[in-house]
Amino acid sequence: MEHFIETIGRNMFAIFGVLALVGALLMIGARSAIHSVLGFLFAMLNIAGCFLALEAEFLGVAQILVYAGGIVVLFLFVVMLVEMSKKHEGEVFQLQSRYAVLAVAGGVALFLGVFRKAIFGAPSPEALVLRPELAKGLDVAHQNAQAVSRGLFADYLLPFEILSVILLVALVGAVVLAKTERV
Amino acid sequence: MNKFLRTLLPADIAKGLSVTGKHFRQVFFTANRRKVPFHIVSEYPEVPAKVQPRFRGRLTMLKDEQGVIKCVCCLACEKICPTQVITIEKGKQEGRKMPYPVRYDFEMERCIFCEFCVESCGFDAIILNHQFELAAYNREDFSLGTEGLGQNMFEPSHVGKFSVADD
Amino acid sequence: MPTPTLTQSIVITFIQCLMVVIFVFVVVPLTVFAERKVLGHLQQRLGSTRVASGHVGFSGWMNRRMWKMGKVPVVSYWRGIPGLVGDVLKLILKEDVIPAKADKFVFFLAPSISMVAAIVVFAAISFVPGTFFTFPTWFPYLGGLPVSGGISDINVGLLWILGVATVGVYGIVLAGWSSNSKYPLLGGLRSAAQMVSYEVPLTLSLLAPVVLSASLNFSEMATRMAVGMPVWALIPQVIGFLLYLTCGFAETNRLPFDMPEAENELVAGFHTEYSGMKFGLFYLAEYINMTVVSALASAFFLGGPWLLPFGLQGLLNPYLPGFLSWFAAPHAIFFVAKIVFLLFTYIWVRGTIPRYRYDQIMAVGWKYLIPLALVNLLLAAAIRCFVV
Repeated sequence: MEHFIETIGRNMFAIFGVLALVGALLMIGARSAIHSVLGFLFAMLNIAGCFLALEAEFLGVAQILVYAGGIVVLFLFVVMLVEMSKKHEGEVFQLQSRYAVLAVAGGVALFLGVFRKAIFGAPSPEALVLRPELAKGLDVAHQNAQAVSRGLFADYLLPFEILSVILLVALVGAVVLAKTERV
Repeated sequence: MNKFLRTLLPADIAKGLSVTGKHFRQVFFTANRRKVPFHIVSEYPEVPAKVQPRFRGRLTMLKDEQGVIKCVCCLACEKICPTQVITIEKGKQEGRKMPYPVRYDFEMERCIFCEFCVESCGFDAIILNHQFELAAYNREDFSLGTEGLGQNMFEPSHVGKFSVADD
Repeated sequence: MPTPTLTQSIVITFIQCLMVVIFVFVVVPLTVFAERKVLGHLQQRLGSTRVASGHVGFSGWMNRRMWKMGKVPVVSYWRGIPGLVGDVLKLILKEDVIPAKADKFVFFLAPSISMVAAIVVFAAISFVPGTFFTFPTWFPYLGGLPVSGGISDINVGLLWILGVATVGVYGIVLAGWSSNSKYPLLGGLRSAAQMVSYEVPLTLSLLAPVVLSASLNFSEMATRMAVGMPVWALIPQVIGFLLYLTCGFAETNRLPFDMPEAENELVAGFHTEYSGMKFGLFYLAEYINMTVVSALASAFFLGGPWLLPFGLQGLLNPYLPGFLSWFAAPHAIFFVAKIVFLLFTYIWVRGTIPRYRYDQIMAVGWKYLIPLALVNLLLAAAIRCFVV
């Protein structure tokens, strides 16, 4: 019994990972757009489970909070409002499929290019950790919300702020594009 | 500025809550005591319900002190009735100058309880009593008369056990 | 104190889950009954006093019995309670109608998402800090082991609660969509917009306790907010409490903000097409959500398992005489009492304040609550920076 539970606990990551893949496949394969969104939601929740299995609670919960709670809701909202008939939907997707294959191939190439070292290369000698002076007075293994925040607001402050500026630009752009002149 | 402050402070909400809170307190602490009922509902089937004095219930004929029917068959009620539920047959009785209703039929099925008949009556011979439980199982029970089997025009209905009989 | 083995700890967690489920399934029906009663009292009525008419069934038996005993059965105050059993039986036994062109899978999924999202939140809520009780030594298998006050007191408990609670909106939106009917769709859309926009002030108002207590752990936050705060922290706590309660009403779709099911506009909103136990799950989820919001409000603002609200306990504890030391310690009963009081407040507000218009709801959320919550957060940050 003990052994069985321990085995499950050790393989939690694999279980959640496989479930996330299943969710992603459902998302691609589903006929109706709403089912796709549901598959996406399932995948996102399982990715959060993956984070939790790696004891990165903050990231896992942030995944639920941001993706499952925010972004997928907006997807759902848009899909519900832009209801297409089944036939029309199929036509649009078939038109796009050629470009979609190209885009996916390009994406995979880009991904492999960036993470080549992480996937195929030798394991790096030391993990990415906080600088020791930042980690002072902090039990990094158990307080990873604090650890993430210290890393984010000390070491990576500039990229973080640039990201938020990009989001702001996207927001303003959306307003400019969507706004029509009131007559 | 004043308006802004009033928007920020939930004073109006607090006022409303205090009013309803007072009602809650009063009813909650006196719910089981019949002496100080703050609630406005009656515990109807168990306790006879009280209706307002102008309540319009079932049509009833009145008798005077000697136990003689007051109706003189002027047919005012029959004429004014919008749904024609009243049928009167004139007749004569020994020792009575005024005409006497041999038959006074009242079809309660169609009655709309408008009280026009009572208003039109010049002799105060009929009233609407305070009975409201008038349901019956048979159609025949709704045709009332001066001498009926089930309900008749003089006594309160036996169907409603729990409402106020009369006053 | 012995440390439990892995299997033992799993069994203990199972027992804790069972306790939470029992708590929920005791509190929810009582809230449903209290809602009828309290709403009645607020309108100077008695609420439900009988189940059937005075002559048949259980209440009829009680009536006849009281007549036989020579008493007028006026004491009918609690005789609405069997109605709860009737409600549950009705929900279980009623025919489960599925609209002809509904998306069956999603139609089935929506109430379960609502329910799961509502009840999973309890994983991170701790009813009392530290040990709740210890099994006596004669207890088989678990003798002498402690049971903590919460199922899993994770470090990011507050974020977990907020995150899982946001998943609950899927239940409503998907229910509205999958019914393939106009009113549910409108209700679902309204609810999505309302819940997404009220999530912002809700989270901002909860950030004030986070900033003040410098933690995301549920029991640690509750402890520090109750007994570890300076006097100045009263102000952001009171403001934050009112803000949080307002947003909590909006998040649970209760009456001043019950846009998704505004009866006179949308029939019954997102659950128009639902019947039977599927509707029952929505109903349960709504009341469980109310309980969760009350639990959070009482933990972070009203002092949680301590007696006094708003951090007053920490200020007064040094002056408390020795014989009152029972009141100085945390007890789960205080926590539950606060939850019950806040549930009463839910019904109280429902009986008092009429429904907002849709644009008013949005205006209140975006124009008043978010700026107020930000000001409150700034205040809390200033106190954290200069006083603590």
